[in-house]
Amino acid sequence: MSKSLVPHVPVSAAEVAPHRPTDWRSDAMERRVRRRYAAERRFRLMGLGAVVVSAGFLAFLLIVMIAQGHLGFVETRVTLPLDLRQARLGLTAERLRGPGADLALAGAGLERAVDAAANRAFATEGGAALLSDGAWLRVRDAVKRDPHLLGRPFTLDLPVASAIDVAAKGNGTPAAERTVAALGAHLSRGIARDFLTGADSTDATRAGIWGALKGSLLTMFVTLALAFPVGVLSAIYLEEYAPRNRATDFLEVSINNLAAVPSIVFGLLGLAVFLGTLHLPRSAPLVGGLTLALMTMPVIVIASRNAIRAVPPSIRDAALAVGASPIQVVSHHVLPLAAPGILTGTIIGMARALGETAPLLMIGMRAFIAAPPDRLTDPATALPVQIFLWSDQVSRGFVEKTSAAILVLLVFLLAMNGVAIFLRNRFETRW
Amino acid sequence: MSNNPPKMTASHVDVYYGANHAIRDVSIDVCQEDVTAFIGPSGCGKSTFLRSLNRMNDTIPGARVSGDIRLDGDDIYAREMDVVQLRARVGMVFQKPNPFPKSIYENVAYGPKIHGLAQSKAELDRIVERSLSRAGLWNEVKDRLSDSGTALSGGQQQRLCIARAIAVDPEVILMDEPCSALDPVATARIEELIHDLRGRYAIVIVTHNMQQAARVSQRTAFFHLGQLIEYGDTSDIFTNPRQERTKDYITGRYG
Repeated sequence: MSKSLVPHVPVSAAEVAPHRPTDWRSDAMERRVRRRYAAERRFRLMGLGAVVVSAGFLAFLLIVMIAQGHLGFVETRVTLPLDLRQARLGLTAERLRGPGADLALAGAGLERAVDAAANRAFATEGGAALLSDGAWLRVRDAVKRDPHLLGRPFTLDLPVASAIDVAAKGNGTPAAERTVAALGAHLSRGIARDFLTGADSTDATRAGIWGALKGSLLTMFVTLALAFPVGVLSAIYLEEYAPRNRATDFLEVSINNLAAVPSIVFGLLGLAVFLGTLHLPRSAPLVGGLTLALMTMPVIVIASRNAIRAVPPSIRDAALAVGASPIQVVSHHVLPLAAPGILTGTIIGMARALGETAPLLMIGMRAFIAAPPDRLTDPATALPVQIFLWSDQVSRGFVEKTSAAILVLLVFLLAMNGVAIFLRNRFETRW
Repeated sequence: MSNNPPKMTASHVDVYYGANHAIRDVSIDVCQEDVTAFIGPSGCGKSTFLRSLNRMNDTIPGARVSGDIRLDGDDIYAREMDVVQLRARVGMVFQKPNPFPKSIYENVAYGPKIHGLAQSKAELDRIVERSLSRAGLWNEVKDRLSDSGTALSGGQQQRLCIARAIAVDPEVILMDEPCSALDPVATARIEELIHDLRGRYAIVIVTHNMQQAARVSQRTAFFHLGQLIEYGDTSDIFTNPRQERTKDYITGRYG
């Protein structure tokens, strides 16, 4: 050939060296095979061991939490005979129909009447001191439901004081234990509705998780509403539109670093920017959500970019080749295929935000808040902060409340993950 | 030489990928109602050149095209050229079948939908049926249009991609090794299909298979190391090549 299409490749020296056939049955070879099998086995056992250890820790955590926490959902009640005629409250059934009923009953001295009844019934065991501070509120609600109770004797199961409650659950002081033994058949157990519907309180029997749960819900709402759109849009821009240059490289490094910044730093940032400069209300879910959104955004950006990058280029090419514009390629093809990955990243970020305590402490969400928040700007606390606050309490009754609150947090987390898995399965498509 | 008027004309085209000079000074006319085959060894730039005909190279970072490429006399790299419309007029079929992970119907209807080619559902149905029929796929899929396009066999997927390309009524169809991932039976079906489509569209096909080029094309261009070595009627190229390198390549005496 005058002009060859392929350049000539010289033969290497190794190619011409003498060749010795491989002996597949030699001792050395069999030793190697045995060693390989042993290594395989070792590796598999190590992996299995790692799984067992981590599953064991998880099981231990759950068992301890449920063992301690389930009592937090239960309250001890004492059966109290009441006859409100003796108290001369001076109330009529008509006055208890309007919106002023609560005030009327409180003003008429219902609390004193309940204490007096307790003193009469349980003089030897401590009388009124037996009852929880909030016990008379149960009487108030019962009378509001049925005003005829004002005119006849009746009995009501009322929550006992924290010390007695703890003793009844088997953990109290000797004195309280004796009281419990003396009350005997007068005691009963029921679901602690106050725990699920109330807010924080200094009295363990009245402390509820709803305030913190609602605070967390509002905070998460703000976080999601801000971090999700901003994070996904940033990811789309960076993946699909941004030119590859020094500026975008720098941005990428910054985002990756931001995802690794300790959360307390975001708390300081929130304190300085949202409270210090913008003068937003302290302790509010709005500020908590904004702060946590700053923390969650980089996680969402990174996960979304990975998900978008994992969409096969052939799908993009196919859409472009029939004349789809870049925005159509993204919205019709890339996003639906990337949605499962984006959702997974979002839920990981949100779960981290939900469990975050430090930044919320910095912006004042650790205050004692006795009423559930109604608006984003109301003072509130969040579940993990509430757990932290309760774990710090001296009163023995808060131990089980702390564990119960942890269970509520875990259930919240599981519910969030459940929703994410459901959404992911709905969007999942194979190609 | 073919007497059909040119549909696309490329003159003095160079393509660079960053510092890599992938296409060197290529001038070629793609004629109406002809099938033009680009042949040549791997890496010779035939796919690169093909992708510059509908500006798919725009999507590759660092790719740069210089020279002049015209569709019906209009410069496709001109500022006034809308690249979205260009790609609707110059359709493309890829090496690996790449149906959307959607239903068969949605795959074909997608192009007409985004370009507003159908005024009603009935019209869209007609376009889908016509496109699938022209692609020789209608009889196989008419009862399962709502099935996923990715559930079809490789050959069917490629015909679906062809149906998707012709659904927007293009003037030119570029095919980048459309049969290289298919078995011989599916390949034969695609070749038949190219025959049937020939009168309607200007077709450019990149192939590694010399017999295929000889079978389906009227004109053949031989590329080597980024240069156009020879371009002419397929019968001339395969029976009477003027260039020594073309002769070496088509006779398989490669070296």
